[in-house]
Parts: sequence; structure tokens; C-alpha cells
Amino acid sequence: MLRITGGKIYDPANGIDGHVRDICINDRGKIVDSVDGGRTINASGMIIFPGGVDVHTHVAGGAMNFARAMTPEDHRRTQAFIRTQSRRSGLGGMAPTTFATGYLYAGMGFTTVNEAAVPVLSARHTHEELADIPIVDKATLTLMANNEIMLDQMEAGEYERAKNVVAWYIWAAKSYGVKAVNPGGVAAWKWGSDAKQMTDSIDGYNSLTPGKIVTMLATICDDLGLPHPMHLHCNNLGAPGNISTTLDTLKHLEGHRAHIAHSQYHAYGGDDWDTMCSATAQLAEYFNTHPNITTDAGAVLFGDTVTITADGPWQHLLYKLTGRKWGNLDVENETGCGIVPYTYRPSNLVNAVQWASGLELMLLIKNPWQVFLSTDHPNGGCFWRYPEIIQLLMCADFRNECIAKLPDKIKGRITLPEIDREYTLYEVATSMSAGPARALGLTQKGNLGVGCDADIVIYEEEDDVARMFSHPRYVIKAGEVVIEDGEIRETPEGREFLVKPSYAPETDEFMRPRFEDCYTMSFENYPVEIERIENPNMQECINANED
Amino acid sequence: MTCTLGEVKQRADFIVYWGGNPAECHPRHFTKYTIMQKSKFLPRGRKDRTMVLVDIRETKSAKAADIFMQVKPGKDFELITILRALIKHQHVGDDQIAETGVTREMLDDLVQRMKSCKFGCFFFGMGLSMTRGKHMNSAALLTLAAEMNAFTKFVAMPMRGHGNVTGADVIMRWQTGYPFGITFNRGYPRYNPGEFSTVDVLVRGDCDAAFIIGADPGATMPQPAIDHLKRIPTICLDPHITHTSKLARVHITTAAQGISAPGTAYRMDELPLPLKPALKSPYPTDEDVVRRINKAISEKPFWLPEGSQPQMITAQV
Amino acid sequence: MTINLHLKQAPSVPLEAEVLSPNVMAELSNSEIRALVVYHGKRQVPLEEFFDVDGERSYELIIHGELNKVRLIGRAMSRGTVTVHGSVGMHLGALMTGGRIEVHGDASDWIGAEMKNGFIHVHGNAGGQIGAAYRGALAGMKNGTIIVDGSAGLEVGMRMRRGTIILGGPAKDFTGLQMKGGTIILQSGAEIRTGAWMNRGTIISMKPLQMMPTFAYASDFNPTFTNVYAKQLKPHGIDLPFAGSDGTYQRFAGDLSVPGKGEILVWQPA
Ligand SMILES: [Zn+2]
Repeated sequence: MLRITGGKIYDPANGIDGHVRDICINDRGKIVDSVDGGRTINASGMIIFPGGVDVHTHVAGGAMNFARAMTPEDHRRTQAFIRTQSRRSGLGGMAPTTFATGYLYAGMGFTTVNEAAVPVLSARHTHEELADIPIVDKATLTLMANNEIMLDQMEAGEYERAKNVVAWYIWAAKSYGVKAVNPGGVAAWKWGSDAKQMTDSIDGYNSLTPGKIVTMLATICDDLGLPHPMHLHCNNLGAPGNISTTLDTLKHLEGHRAHIAHSQYHAYGGDDWDTMCSATAQLAEYFNTHPNITTDAGAVLFGDTVTITADGPWQHLLYKLTGRKWGNLDVENETGCGIVPYTYRPSNLVNAVQWASGLELMLLIKNPWQVFLSTDHPNGGCFWRYPEIIQLLMCADFRNECIAKLPDKIKGRITLPEIDREYTLYEVATSMSAGPARALGLTQKGNLGVGCDADIVIYEEEDDVARMFSHPRYVIKAGEVVIEDGEIRETPEGREFLVKPSYAPETDEFMRPRFEDCYTMSFENYPVEIERIENPNMQECINANED
Repeated sequence: MTCTLGEVKQRADFIVYWGGNPAECHPRHFTKYTIMQKSKFLPRGRKDRTMVLVDIRETKSAKAADIFMQVKPGKDFELITILRALIKHQHVGDDQIAETGVTREMLDDLVQRMKSCKFGCFFFGMGLSMTRGKHMNSAALLTLAAEMNAFTKFVAMPMRGHGNVTGADVIMRWQTGYPFGITFNRGYPRYNPGEFSTVDVLVRGDCDAAFIIGADPGATMPQPAIDHLKRIPTICLDPHITHTSKLARVHITTAAQGISAPGTAYRMDELPLPLKPALKSPYPTDEDVVRRINKAISEKPFWLPEGSQPQMITAQV
Repeated sequence: MTINLHLKQAPSVPLEAEVLSPNVMAELSNSEIRALVVYHGKRQVPLEEFFDVDGERSYELIIHGELNKVRLIGRAMSRGTVTVHGSVGMHLGALMTGGRIEVHGDASDWIGAEMKNGFIHVHGNAGGQIGAAYRGALAGMKNGTIIVDGSAGLEVGMRMRRGTIILGGPAKDFTGLQMKGGTIILQSGAEIRTGAWMNRGTIISMKPLQMMPTFAYASDFNPTFTNVYAKQLKPHGIDLPFAGSDGTYQRFAGDLSVPGKGEILVWQPA
């Protein structure tokens, strides 16, 4: 039992904007009206947020683990977590180890993370890694858009079957939703080519186009009533002029719910690398007129990182641009993954445009319930640098200082210098917690109302915003004080959110021969047993079409 | 640079086995994953694929290959490096090529085939990774595969030995950031193969105790390493009597993984497979034993004196 | 004034002693030095458990004993001197930025790894990875000089960017692997794969080398810079032949696989 008194509460889910109020937490880690006894935290003069929710990150699984192996030089210079009696050892940095990932997220006040790219075949591996990420609660999205069994059904016009296949995969992989990456494109990449436009044909198929895949998959997610809508990584990531592809993609989503991942990487104008510019104004305008679509920024921060996405073509492009070591990991029948260490530099015009674009989207999209804090960790920057982004959003002066350091040629390519909006604390709380929780359909998260999970972060109010957000005074997870005065106090295990969408019972028999034809794993061995998930937490499907 | 075996089965139309003898060492490799399989993309199976074998002697696998290249012993690194030059149109002298045991015609043909295939794959075995040059031989082939991606899709994959070697590697990576060769003496993981790798630590006599699970170093390691294991307290967990269990001070008999103990094994392409035990064992699993040892240790005083903490070795001072 | 350290007892497992550096000891009193923490395996012990310490507050360290299990001596030092009478363990002078280390005995692997500047002289034999890059790092030593009178192990000068390594005895395989610059001088040659994958830089060998197939013979010549080198090396007791001596250098260019612009010069006595 715990009572937090005297703090200024920012709880956008309940419209509370800086009111002083007490919060009470019961023994089951839920927020309640009142408690008798137990510890009291005096939060007078402090700021209280719901625990942060990361809607799009990459923290576990085969690709991340490959990235760890590729960056020993980063491990050596990064923050090490030295083992203590309550804490296991690990390494932070660009591709943190599992235990360190939990400590770093919690240390920054984040209590829920969504691992946004799980290839079907390595789901078992991803869950084993997630079990080793302490403190935070987790959800996973299964990569579907280049799944050949599903694509074959779509090509054949078998909508119901395609829907059953998707539902079957979600449950088999014990995941929480669907991630679509570069629809049609990754499948083509396996042959060394790429599909860039929504009407391009796809190698190996006759009538299927990326556009058709997008529309059908969004419909399937809605019809299955997944709490989180289709999570879409658009085609043509990172390429100059890709705004047309992105807008075209969005048109294929009309009438559906959707979450667009890391939209910064999809909002460029220009014809080539020399003329590349920000086209965020057009994209923001679309969001401002379509409230059913959400996005996360995929912001870029200057400095070293390792890029790791399921988008093979983009990674190969990066490799050609940088000539640095390159790892490409293809998972059978689903998707490819590429890994390249990369440094974003302010002196590099392309990087400067990327940096500005991420911030522009967060500032130009008016409703913070639609655009969320993310760096597409680790692609645009490491998640533990989020406080730097918050500072850039909250302080226009600081932003202008940073803009002044960009090359002169940046003028006319970005709109950031013309924007004077500053995020309020209420908006920050929306963008880093309440908004992403709602987009994920996790009603008990990002919300300090009675009955919700007691995931709470308490900051000592100070002028240095980046410092304040990177050093919370207390972090409370499920009612337990896990961080206090900068120290990790407890390292409880987190839960994993799962959904079980319904599918026709004959789907197993339908899948079996196709599965064994496509994969080199026996059908029985594939589905992840529910017993293998540590602390599973079932979430209900909704019926979106009846709303 | 890598992929899963399913990708190979589905798409690879050009497969090179380098320094391995799959016909005898990984007999299911051919039939299950590589050359014998038909797929949507390669409907004629074996006919749609080209297989090359590179080895120092003509093994049984050569019969299955379309092309057999006999490389002189100890010249793998040189041969791969020549290939790296040739794909970039660099001129390498005939005499230099001849030193590796192959001819220019063979290499020109190989390069042409590599560049014109749709999906190429190198599998490399112990004949490459455990001979003179060791990790640099594997690095050479991985680099060649990465560079081939400028022309077409190309990957490289090690053919690991038996046992769950890959599993250990995968888990060490997610928990520590490094695959092997790790020390925790400062309370956090540090990596330096050659300094902290098991065989080097044992050969130099750098450890004063050894705890061995799922391996038989007493049978495979060089004599100085075995001698050191005999000198120090060695604890061995194994279902069977092995060379190591015989020299160990303590041998705890455990249930056999996969036969009577459940778990996850990682295939050589890092895909996890569940182990579903068919039998019950009277012996505890490795996991049980390690958990009990951990519990017993946690009841002892913490390894660090109260209030002290080891110092991280910073990259710079 | 110097600080004299005598090893009292051989460590049973590696002793990590990055505190054995002038930078750490220069301002410390004798008792503070004795209390410095070293790592005997995972145990933290005071330096005095292994060393007798005479002297204090000095940039000159003299260490006596068979220190082959003592690692990280002189790590990241920037000035002063370390003199060892006996053998030393791994990572001697790694990451150092200045100062001077002299070993009257044998050294182990990774000496001068990723060093930025300074001078290391080993009078006995050394191990592998001299002046090399640690695993995964892009560049090895960036400047400075390492002289080994005896033999050396694998991967000498791996990925080095600048600076000079001079070996009196023979080196093992992969000398100058992926070299990016700088100079390696081999007075007694090397085993195989010398200069493999080198990008830039120069390897000079006094003895015939087995060349990688991806190096092309370019010319016989006597570049003037060998003359300059010869003068610089004379004070260290090294005789580098140069124009005017009896012979020529055969120049090989490579490694073609990169393709790189490195060169290997092999001395051909007349
Ligand atoms: Zn992503």
C-alpha cells in the first residue's frame, strides 16, 4: 500500500492538468480511492506523470541480438551496470543487454514498452529475451505484411482465409498485434530488389500490390478487433521524395484505424539526396484532418547508433552510403532484417533534415493524442535519450540554438525555424504516456484513474528539462517503488500483454501443409506455448466495426 | 549476411559448402534444407540449384556437388581473399592463383556464377574455422558474402558442431552483449576472445576453479588445458561419464537435454526449437542443479564487501 | 625521486592493475599508493598485498618481478615512465597517450593496443595484437612507437592508423592485418599473411616474406623515406638499410581484395 501526497498531477487520460491531488495504491498494484496505512511519499513540489509507454521500440529478438554482437566497441565505452545484490549486470549503449534495457527504461520513468517487430519464426526467442527484461510490461507485434502464406491468400482473393491466417499467427506467436513492414517490399528484397510505390507489382505475384496489402491487412486488424490497430511501417523508408508514397499509403487506409510507425522517415520531399527536404507539413496536415490515425515520431538525435529494421532495402542503402559493416538477417518466409552502425551528424545535410523532420512532426501535428515520442530505438537514437527530445519540444530557445548549428544550406529545406510551439507538461504526458497507451488499447496504462495500474513517475521540478526527465525522483511500477533517488531499489518481473483473436477451427489444418512447405520447422514445434510466457496478461479483443 | 535455413530451402539457387563435409557430418542438411528441396521459387529442386564444394580433399560430399574445388591445405584465406579481389575486377597473377591449388578458369567461372545467381549462400565448416587463421578465415568468407551483395543476394552461415552451442551464444549475447570470451571479474561483462575465452584461460592457467555444463573439454581441448582442469577443482554436470567427468572433482549426473529435460535449443541459424522430453529421468535437470547452487550461494555473504563496488575500466581516462 | 615496486608473491589468477601508472601515482603518498585497489580475479585487494612500495609522488615507476599475470600496466598513461625488470602481462600501455614504458623481459598480448602516442620498448619477446584495435573497433594505434627486440605473435599492428612498430625477431601470421596507415618494420621477417587486407600504410621487411597472392609486385626502388627512417632508428640501435647501402627494396602493392593502397617493401641485399 502506498499513498502519494501533495504532487502536481498530469493525467491527460482524465483531463487533469497540474492539479494537486493524492494518489492511493492498493496491495495489488492498482490505483484506488483510499488506503489505510502503508508508506506515504510526500511529493510536495513534485510533478507526477503516468509511467511512460513506448509505442514503438526494438529491444529484443534475433535482429537486436545480432546488433549486440556487431557492436562490441560500443559496449566497451558505454555505461555498465555493475552487479549488486538487487541488480544483475549488463551494458547500456546502442543495443543494451536485456537486464540493462529494463533498468534504463525504468530509470527514465517508462513502465510499458512495445517491441514492434517480431518475425513469426523467432517469436519464441523474442519471448525468452523479454522474460529477461525486468520491471517494464511488454507487448509484441508480429511481422505480417510479407508473410507468403498470407500474401498467397490475398492474391487469390480469399479474404476470410487471410484473416484466419493472421489471427492464427498472432496467437501462435503469442503477440499483441500486427506490424506491417514495407508491404510487398521486403519479400522482393529477398531477391535483391524493392517495391517502392503502392501500385508496383510484387515479384512472384500477379495482381497483388503494396496498396492492396495495406488495405486488406488494416481491414483484417479492424475485423479481428485487435486492441492496437495495424502498425504500419510504410514503403520507401528514408528515401527523398517518399512523402508521395506515404500519402498514397494513407489514402489506402481511409476508413480504417491505423498507427503509422516512425513517420519522420517517411516525410521527405526532393528528388534525390542533394535536394532532399522536409515534407512534414503535408504529412502533419493529413494527421490533423484524420483523427483515427496515430503515429510516432521516429525522431533522430545526432550521435552514434545502430540501425536495425526489418526493412532490408533501406539498410543496404545505408551500407552503400556509409561503407560500414553491414549485417543482414533474413528470416524465412517473413521478412528481412538489416543492421548497420551509423552516426547522425549535424554537418550532414540529410541527417540535419531528418533531425528537424522528427521534431516538426511532433510540433505540427496539433493533437498530442495522435503523435508520440519515439526514436524507433535504436534507429534514430537510443531510447534512453528521450529526455533530450522532450527538451527540444518544450524549449523553443534551446531548439533555435540547435538549429543555428546546422549547415547554412539547411535554409528552405525545413520548417522547424518557423515553429514556435512549445510543449506543455500536459502535452508531454500525453505524448509519452496517455496517448501511446490509448493507441495500444491498453486502458489500464497511461492513466492515473481509479482501477488503473499504479505505474507512476515522480519528478523533482527543475528548469533543466532534459535532466528532470532523465532523473525521476521516484518510479513506481505496479505499486512498487522501483527507482528512488536515482537508485534501482526493486527489479520485479514485468508482464506480457497478449490477445487471442478468434479464427476458424480448421485454420490449423489449413496452415499445416503450407507451413511445412514454407518453413524448415515442424508445424507442432512452431506455436509458442502459453507456459513459455512469463506472466502473460490476456487482453480482450474489441469489436471496432460496431463502434 | 546471414539468414535462416528456410530462406535457403526456398530460394538459394547457388550453394557453396566451404571446409565442411555435409554428406557425412550433417547428412540431413542436403535433404532438409539445401540442394534436394523443391520450392515455389525453385520448383525443379536439385536441378534449379548449383552446388559447389571447396575442401582440401575429395570427401563424399564432392559426389553431390556440381563443382568441386580442391584448395591446398592452409590456403583457404588466400583463396577467399583472391575471390574478394576478383569480384572487384582486380588483377591477380596466375602464379598467385596457382599457389592455392585452383586455376584461373575455375575462379573466373565461379565468380561469374556467384554474380549471376539470384540468391547465393556459403556454408562453412570446421575445415575453415578451425584451421590456421581460425576466426579470420570465417571473417573472410563473411566479408566476401557481404561484398557480394553489391551484385546479388548473398549470405554466409557457419555449420556448427553438435550440442546447443548456438543457444549458449545467443543467450550470452542478450544477457551480456557478447557471445563468448567474457569475464565478470569487475561485476559487469567484458569481452576479449584470446584473453577470456575458455581454452585460453585454461591453457594459461588463469582460473582457479572450473564449472562445466554440456561440454567435454577433457576430450577436445589441448593438453595444457586438460592438465589445468586436473589441477583445479573442476565441477562437471553431465548425463554421461565423459573425459571431463573423469578428471573432475565433482560430477553431478543430470537429465539429458531434449531426451528427458525440456528447454529450447537454437538451431545453427539461430531459430529456437522447443525440446519436448519423451522420457522421465531420475536425475535433476541442469537448470535445477544450477538454480540450487545459485540459491546456496545467495545465502552466503555477498561477494563484495559492504559498500564497495568494482570500478569499471573506462575506455578513456 | 622514483617509486619502486617489488612483486612480493606471484598472483594465482590474473591481477588487473591499471593503477600501475604514473598518472595514478604521481600525486600520491606512499601509504596512498599501497592502498590503491587492484583486482586479483574478482577480489579487490590493496596494492600492498602484492607489492612492496618504496617512494611516493613521482612520475617514474620502477617495477621488479615476474609480472606475467599482472595486466593493464601503464594503461592510458599520458606522461612519465614505467620501467619493468621482469616480464609483464597483457595490455601493457594500452590506450596510452604519452610517456615511456621500458620492459627488460618479455611482454604478452595487446601491448600498446589503441595507443594514441608514447613509446614502448620491450627488450624480450612480445605476444600478439601489438598496437592493435580491440575487437570490433575501427582503428588500432593512432601514433607513437613500439619496439620489440624479440619475436611477436599474431595480428601485430591490426588496423593501426599511424605510428611505428619495429620488431627485431620474427612475427607470426597476419602482421599488419587491415592496416590503415603507419609503419611496421620487420627485421627478421614474419610467417604468413603479412599485410592481409591492408588499406594503407607501409610494411618494411629485412627478410624475404611469403606474400599474399593479392599483392602485386610493383618495382625495385629505394625510396628516400627509408633514409629518413634509418636516421630516426639509429639511436634505438636499429640498422635500416637505405639508398646507398648494398641492395634495393622490392615494392609490392595491395591488398587488392580491399582494394587497398598499402605497400610492402622487402629488402634485397645485392
Ligand atoms: Zn521500428
